[in-house]
Amino acid sequence: MTTVLKVEGLKKSYGSKEALKGVDFEVQEGEIFALIGPNGAGKTTTLRIVSTLLSISAGKVTFLGHDVKKEPDKVREKISYLPEEAGAYRNLKGIDYLRFMANFYSETSGQADDFVKRASRIADLGLALNDKVGTYSKGMTRKLLLGRALMTRPTLAILDEPTSGLDVINSLEVREIIKTYAKEGISVLLSSHNMLEIEFLSDRVALIDKGKILDSGTSQELKDKYQAANLEVVFRSALR
Amino acid sequence: MKRFTNLLVKEIRELINKQLIISLVMLVVIFSFIGQTAKTEMKKAAATQKISVMDQDGSELSKGLAAGLKSANFSIEWSGEKDPEAAVRAAKKGDTYLLLIIPPGFGDAVARFERKEITTYTFLRSFSLGGIRKSEVLKAVIAATNNYLSNNVLKSKVPDVPADILKSPIKTKDYVIVKDRMAEGSASAISGMVYSQSVFLPIILMMIIMYSSQMVISAIALEKQNKTLETLLTVPIPRTSIVTAKMAAAALVGLLSAAIYMIGMRSFMGGMMGDLKAGAGVDAVVKQLGLTLTTRGYLLLGLSLFLALLCGLAMATILGVLAEDFRSAQSLMLPIMLMVLVPYMLSFFADVNNLPPAAKLLILAIPFSHPFLASQNIMLENYSAVMYGILYMAVFFGIMVFMAARIFSTDRVLTMKLRWGKKKVVL
Repeated sequence: MTTVLKVEGLKKSYGSKEALKGVDFEVQEGEIFALIGPNGAGKTTTLRIVSTLLSISAGKVTFLGHDVKKEPDKVREKISYLPEEAGAYRNLKGIDYLRFMANFYSETSGQADDFVKRASRIADLGLALNDKVGTYSKGMTRKLLLGRALMTRPTLAILDEPTSGLDVINSLEVREIIKTYAKEGISVLLSSHNMLEIEFLSDRVALIDKGKILDSGTSQELKDKYQAANLEVVFRSALR
Repeated sequence: MKRFTNLLVKEIRELINKQLIISLVMLVVIFSFIGQTAKTEMKKAAATQKISVMDQDGSELSKGLAAGLKSANFSIEWSGEKDPEAAVRAAKKGDTYLLLIIPPGFGDAVARFERKEITTYTFLRSFSLGGIRKSEVLKAVIAATNNYLSNNVLKSKVPDVPADILKSPIKTKDYVIVKDRMAEGSASAISGMVYSQSVFLPIILMMIIMYSSQMVISAIALEKQNKTLETLLTVPIPRTSIVTAKMAAAALVGLLSAAIYMIGMRSFMGGMMGDLKAGAGVDAVVKQLGLTLTTRGYLLLGLSLFLALLCGLAMATILGVLAEDFRSAQSLMLPIMLMVLVPYMLSFFADVNNLPPAAKLLILAIPFSHPFLASQNIMLENYSAVMYGILYMAVFFGIMVFMAARIFSTDRVLTMKLRWGKKKVVL
């Protein structure tokens, strides 16, 4: 297995506030790695740093051998980030938004067409793709954005609360899509509050709280270790 | 380049939306409508106008005065009332704007060199320019009659000396000197003509800078509000390209909007000013004094305007980062608005060179002051002042772009916020 992402001693401070206090984990090729933790634990900060959005206060993040701090442009070519509360350009039609995003990653217009077709399949919005994004519901926008995030088959998809705002049916569909793409070799780094979702999706889990990884392993390993029936109990036990 | 073009096209598409198109079309239509209405009113005012005249004198002089009114394009409606009060009441009921009452004994009194009052009534049925113009024409006719009468008297008393020499023994011959050129003419007429020719320039400049800056600030604020900025910052395109694309799109749409605005403004001003044009004599004097822009002058002015626009856009980019959402973006326009309005207002009322040193320094420190001063300096051949302004703006722009690029290349683009309530910048 190839290590796609390596996070070592990652620290991040906002002024005097320390958001991350030394985070370490690795993500392997084709693996779904999940960060779970309460609000303010440092999940989103970690994902934003890996996505090249935030600077690093201390430590090192390496993606396919590229230092995220020193070579952010090379990292951006191969990653895709879906923020928790992401939106799309309201004045653009769904299909135009996908085309706009595809153009950043494609070498030819044929390749961009392929990306858009794949995104359309993932989003599954039908004729609504020809409507302006401003008319979409939250669920439709989320599916459009998921299509955008996966259309280029990134080496690493960074998904912050991927099913946030979706109803049960849509959430199930999205989870299936993520699982399918991971099987095809895409690595996924995701965060979620939903323990059931994490258990269903992830190959490995890291429990994070107050800027520190408390524990990590497969769901089964963690459940065995803490003698818990599910990840919610695991998390509660780890916090103690 | 393909990625930059992709982003630029998106930015332009975002800016040219239905709201913008409708507002620009409405602006042109409204300005044209006002201009055309004003033009029609002016034409009406210049056309034959009704005036009620009550001649209680019936002398040759009163008839001469009426003839003067006719030649000034007035159509006389003789009042048949017996007393002035009744004449005023009757005129008030009618559609005339003016009433002239010539009292009995007017002609005889003037012949005896006694000052006799004639009474005029102006019925202000509206406050339009046309109404004001009518009473001005009447005054001019009376003044011409006064002149005619006094000239006749002087001619009869001192036949050997022309009347105008008797009335104005001192005559002035006016020369205007600009640098090493001199021409005969009135300084106020020349200033007026140069001003009327360059009156649009500050308006265009103010419009472009404010409009384009507003677009950049709003574009960045909307990216934040709609949560699209984070995604955009993770796509494989240099951050400087993101900044440049936003600025270029705003500049292009700003220029386009300003051009459309000016079409409307031209129609508006054309209507307001009507056919009022400076005489050919003043035009020739202006040319003789070199107070026209040469090709070099136009190039320098264009460069100055362009750099001012770039300074505005770069400042707007930084201010846009401070905005949390579209609403807060509106208040962040304030610094740019003030920096544009101060030199804009000063360009109408004050000469920067005559200001106290501290105030002058302050004005010159504002980058937008320089294009406002440039046209005047170019015409007066103060090229060093123009070049200094261009150099200053280039340096200012360079610093602003460097700062904007630095902000966009770090996480400050996401974390910088101006909190009005707490009055502090969070970095």
